Amino acid sequence: MALFQIHIPIIDDIKAQGLVPTLLAKTDEAVTRLTAGLNVGEIRSVLRGDPPKRPNPRTKPHADGFWMHMRPTYFHKKVMPLYPTFRLGWLAVYFLTIETITGLVLMLWYTPSPLVAFENMQDIMSNVPFGMMMRDLHRLGAEFMVMVVLLHMLRTFITGSYKKPRQFTWFTGGVLLLLTLFLSFSGYLLPWDQLSLWAVTIGASMAEATPVIGREVNLLVRGGPDFGTNGLLRFYLLHVFALPLIAFIFVGVHYYKVIIHAHSLPPGDEQVGEDTARKVPMDTRSYFLPDVATKEVYWIVMWTALLILMVTVGGWHAPLEPHADSQVTPLHTTAPWYFLWLQGMLKLGDKVFWGVIAPGILVNLVFVLPYLEVGPSRRYIHRRVGLTIAAVSVVAFSALTYMGTPFYAVSSSADQEVVAALVPQTHPGPLRSTPFEQLPSGEYSATQWKNAPSGGLRELLELFQHELHKYDKELPDSEGIMIIEDWQIGLKKVTLRVLWNDGDNSFAQNVFIHQNSGYEE
Amino acid sequence: MALFMAEMGGALVWFAFPRFKEGEFGGIITVPIADIPAPDSGPKDFPAARIWLVNLGKERLADERQPEEYTVKPGVKALYKICVHLGCLYKWVPTNNRFECPCHGSKYLTTGARIDGPANRNLDAFPFEFMDAQGNVLAKSGLMGSGNTVEGDALEIPSGAVALRIDTGQRIQGAPNSKPGGGT
Repeated sequence: MALFQIHIPIIDDIKAQGLVPTLLAKTDEAVTRLTAGLNVGEIRSVLRGDPPKRPNPRTKPHADGFWMHMRPTYFHKKVMPLYPTFRLGWLAVYFLTIETITGLVLMLWYTPSPLVAFENMQDIMSNVPFGMMMRDLHRLGAEFMVMVVLLHMLRTFITGSYKKPRQFTWFTGGVLLLLTLFLSFSGYLLPWDQLSLWAVTIGASMAEATPVIGREVNLLVRGGPDFGTNGLLRFYLLHVFALPLIAFIFVGVHYYKVIIHAHSLPPGDEQVGEDTARKVPMDTRSYFLPDVATKEVYWIVMWTALLILMVTVGGWHAPLEPHADSQVTPLHTTAPWYFLWLQGMLKLGDKVFWGVIAPGILVNLVFVLPYLEVGPSRRYIHRRVGLTIAAVSVVAFSALTYMGTPFYAVSSSADQEVVAALVPQTHPGPLRSTPFEQLPSGEYSATQWKNAPSGGLRELLELFQHELHKYDKELPDSEGIMIIEDWQIGLKKVTLRVLWNDGDNSFAQNVFIHQNSGYEE
Repeated sequence: MALFMAEMGGALVWFAFPRFKEGEFGGIITVPIADIPAPDSGPKDFPAARIWLVNLGKERLADERQPEEYTVKPGVKALYKICVHLGCLYKWVPTNNRFECPCHGSKYLTTGARIDGPANRNLDAFPFEFMDAQGNVLAKSGLMGSGNTVEGDALEIPSGAVALRIDTGQRIQGAPNSKPGGGT
């Protein structure tokens, strides 16, 4: 008698049924386990679009599977078209996922220290395979995420979906909006370039305006009187750990509430004061498998393709300015676009009122909106006041955003503005994007732009002359001179000189242009 | 439970709060008299102390853009080089003979007076004292103005002074100033 006996059941099966049928049966069993209830035949039937059997076997994964139990078994047919959701909430989660994946990859080549952070960025952009693409995707995804979350909020307001019983869903959505803004903003500092340092300095100084605790809050986030090693590390930890963690938790709560109450139907499709989203008769159901699932796969593919096309053939690239310099604030520095409205409000006057109290009231209004505005009807015709307020808010925020840009009320002296038009301090601008070989050395006068030896130089000098003309009043009898010198191999020194009052006054600025700067288009 | 959470929160804030060291910005910084600009010349940048040193002479004090409410005195002033609006570094623009902030366009005179918003007070300044070669204090800056126009004052260089000591830990806020063109 054997001391122990090995029993492998599959061998018995093979003996009884033959090799191929046994393997097929085992594969089928494995697939059924992995999908928590769908066998190979059923998956094929789902993909073919066959009507489900009764009872519907395709609801089993929703009951038994971990991932699928987070998704509803079926949607109401009326929320399946683009209207009323525009898939904006779904897109927000999509972008959060994209940001998480690209962000984790970028972390491999990034160290949060002012000594090496900028160098890391240059490495990522020039030495790491797909590094530039990952950074571009991360940045582009962030811009899209902010836009999508804002539009999602606007849509929810317009369709009245924040009303009972979805008040708390709206509230958690408000938290997610703030988290999205802070996530994007905290990421701003990490490249440690001029844009990072000064945009974030402006943002953090807004917090300093908070009464009583402003100074302390400011020191806490900056980790010192100004941004340095401590500030960068703190923003990094917020960006890669604390804020994403809170965001994931709130996405969970938010989506759980969405499922509990179901997607609200288009406002015109239910009786005033009723919420029938959860009562979905059999004939109006659109099952997750296959309808919703295939649509989602389609959207993932299309959006990912769009993003990749934008950062490759589309030529969209995340900007990187010169290394952060705590001694020089670039002319025309602005906050990120989604904070421009705040910067615009700050131009209106008092920093405590317009920078802290007014935005504070606005944010709090967003949070309490569903508890204050309790009108029973979601129909557009009954909500003229609310919809008008929404329209006015959109216009007001656009106006404030415009006021936040440098076009409104911020200007330096005319001579510096003229030079900044050619070599702006916040982006590459015309001179730096002119091809290197189109800058032959010599001394050129802007009035003689027609005689310039190259096309690129001609455009620059014409722009120079045009800008000088704009300031005829401030700069009488002005002349613009551009001197190009060969400084080293592959490096040219360009001097822009503005003379006025017949040469009595002058202003000059030097720029060095490198052959391989990568600014040319 | 709530008490415990509050205690933990407090401990975290205490833990995370930055620490200051002596000798860096925040301590006393010494500038030789020879480095102080001549009266009425342009202001001079001292990055380590985060200041613009100005030396106000007759010409600067007679600037007609100066708002009337604020007291002016001839002499040296140590202006904190951070814009009181949102923390950008304002810069000296010789063409316009004033400080201009590149971020939101606040404008200041060399006296520290705000002449254009969105900032809502005059520039902040640091207290300072003049020392002679033996290390004696010859003169100490104080405050000037009254009511809501109190701010750091200016001091002329006393004879025999060899060094200027600036206390960058004691920032004096500029007086409130929010009218277009300057004034309370």
